[in-house]
Amino acid sequence: MPQATSRSDATRAVVFSPLEGAGRAELVEQRLTDAIVAGVLRDGERLPSESDLAKSLGVAVVTAREALVALRDKGLVLTRRGRDGGSFVTHDRDASMRMIDARVRALSRIELRDLSLHYAAIAGMAAEVAADRASDDDLASLVEVDARADLATPGGARRAVGRFQLEIAAVSQSPRLVHEELRLQAESGPLLWLCLREQAYRDRSRQARVEVIESIRGVDPARARRATTEHIASATEWLIDEKARLESPEQGRQPAPGAEDRKG
Amino acid sequence: MTTTVANAADTIAHRIAATIDPLFALIDTWRDELEARLAEVAEPNAADLDPVIAALVRPALDDSSGLITGAGFVAAPGFLPDAPWHLAWWLSGTNTFRANADGGVRRLDAESDPDAEQFRDYTTLEWWRTPARTGTRHLTGPYVDYLCTDDYTVTITTGVMVDGEMAGVVGTDAYVARIEQELLPVLRESGHPCTLVNASGRIVASTDSRHATGALLRLDGLASVLAPLHEHEGQAAAAVLPGGQFVVPCGDTTLALVFETA
Repeated sequence: MPQATSRSDATRAVVFSPLEGAGRAELVEQRLTDAIVAGVLRDGERLPSESDLAKSLGVAVVTAREALVALRDKGLVLTRRGRDGGSFVTHDRDASMRMIDARVRALSRIELRDLSLHYAAIAGMAAEVAADRASDDDLASLVEVDARADLATPGGARRAVGRFQLEIAAVSQSPRLVHEELRLQAESGPLLWLCLREQAYRDRSRQARVEVIESIRGVDPARARRATTEHIASATEWLIDEKARLESPEQGRQPAPGAEDRKG
Repeated sequence: MTTTVANAADTIAHRIAATIDPLFALIDTWRDELEARLAEVAEPNAADLDPVIAALVRPALDDSSGLITGAGFVAAPGFLPDAPWHLAWWLSGTNTFRANADGGVRRLDAESDPDAEQFRDYTTLEWWRTPARTGTRHLTGPYVDYLCTDDYTVTITTGVMVDGEMAGVVGTDAYVARIEQELLPVLRESGHPCTLVNASGRIVASTDSRHATGALLRLDGLASVLAPLHEHEGQAAAAVLPGGQFVVPCGDTTLALVFETA
């Protein structure tokens, strides 16, 4: 049975799932930065201890420590000593916005589009297979995930997108697609769903969910895939426009050479 | 359908039930022992109960040749005053989820603080919901257990009753891949194309390579034949579908064998 439930939050759980690849302290730092900036980890929240963090991420304690020091230097984490001590998230909205803007600027359009394409390949296939494999119980779970979506805030909308996509992957009955969905949510989610800052895109995300649910109800795999990939494509277009906006000279923020004019 | 085919289907269905039944029987013994133990205790608490559960499930988890990849007890919310939400669940050495270097039995690390974001209300999950609703043991899956063991799993659970109330469930997980490995030779023996499905019509194993495990078997009339299994309403009867396929329930495992007669 698909297991997205009222209070489970897979987009959060994935923050502490094992990492792969080199430059591990940077990866830990990037993942936690993304989670804090995206509001998945909340202001004032205590992070796991160095050793717990190291264990759940599958890295050495010294690597986790290095990442926490870097987060402290960025002002995203505060460390308190003593009995109730530990590392606490300090979510400064303005600092977060600046940081994510810097990330959008740092990635090329090619990289952003590639990231989007990779995610669409996974999520689109999951939706296609899910439309064929969903039982009535699965459909009821999907409807419930949608019904619980909080569209009033970017964080709420993003969590709803994450939960729904994960549920779709679970309904596809593929452990690999589930694993890849989780991995990509951690890697690409905070950037890809930046458009959910805008209410119009939060409403659009709801429409996409309803369209996917209806496709699954009608056992229409092609339609389910299309609704999913079109949603991802529209989020990517927003992101590319946002990048152009950030790079435009009128923004007065480190204008990049040859920056495009602001679009849309 | 001929009597020969009916007999062949019956034989296979029995043998499938005989493979799954030991799992049901095992969790029934855990339930009995736990109910007896809890009946003697005035104020149950997690600290005392956990070692009891560990001792109960350990032998099954240590048996690396068995189907079991996880087992334990999940308490009803509030049943244990010292642990309002409590999972006493262990993973076997064959379980690949966050396996430690020594590859031994280890406890599942679950979030039990309802204020934490990772917390999940397990009473909404099928392996809890169905035994709670029907009062009978239940087979959940095949499903991708991404919040627990991270793999393609079947979970069998049954309610533990104390003073007429459900105090929790005992249960066990098995990898679908291992179950398929066990059951496929049995399915092949009949010489007929046949497919094992759960109560939702989801394929567990099939001799037909076009029927993927995890897909729904879409046959006219199958859903209504499986409905009693899905709702745990008494014993489902063997039936013939409009397409000529013969559907035989596998004992009371809630699985059914779909037997092609052609």
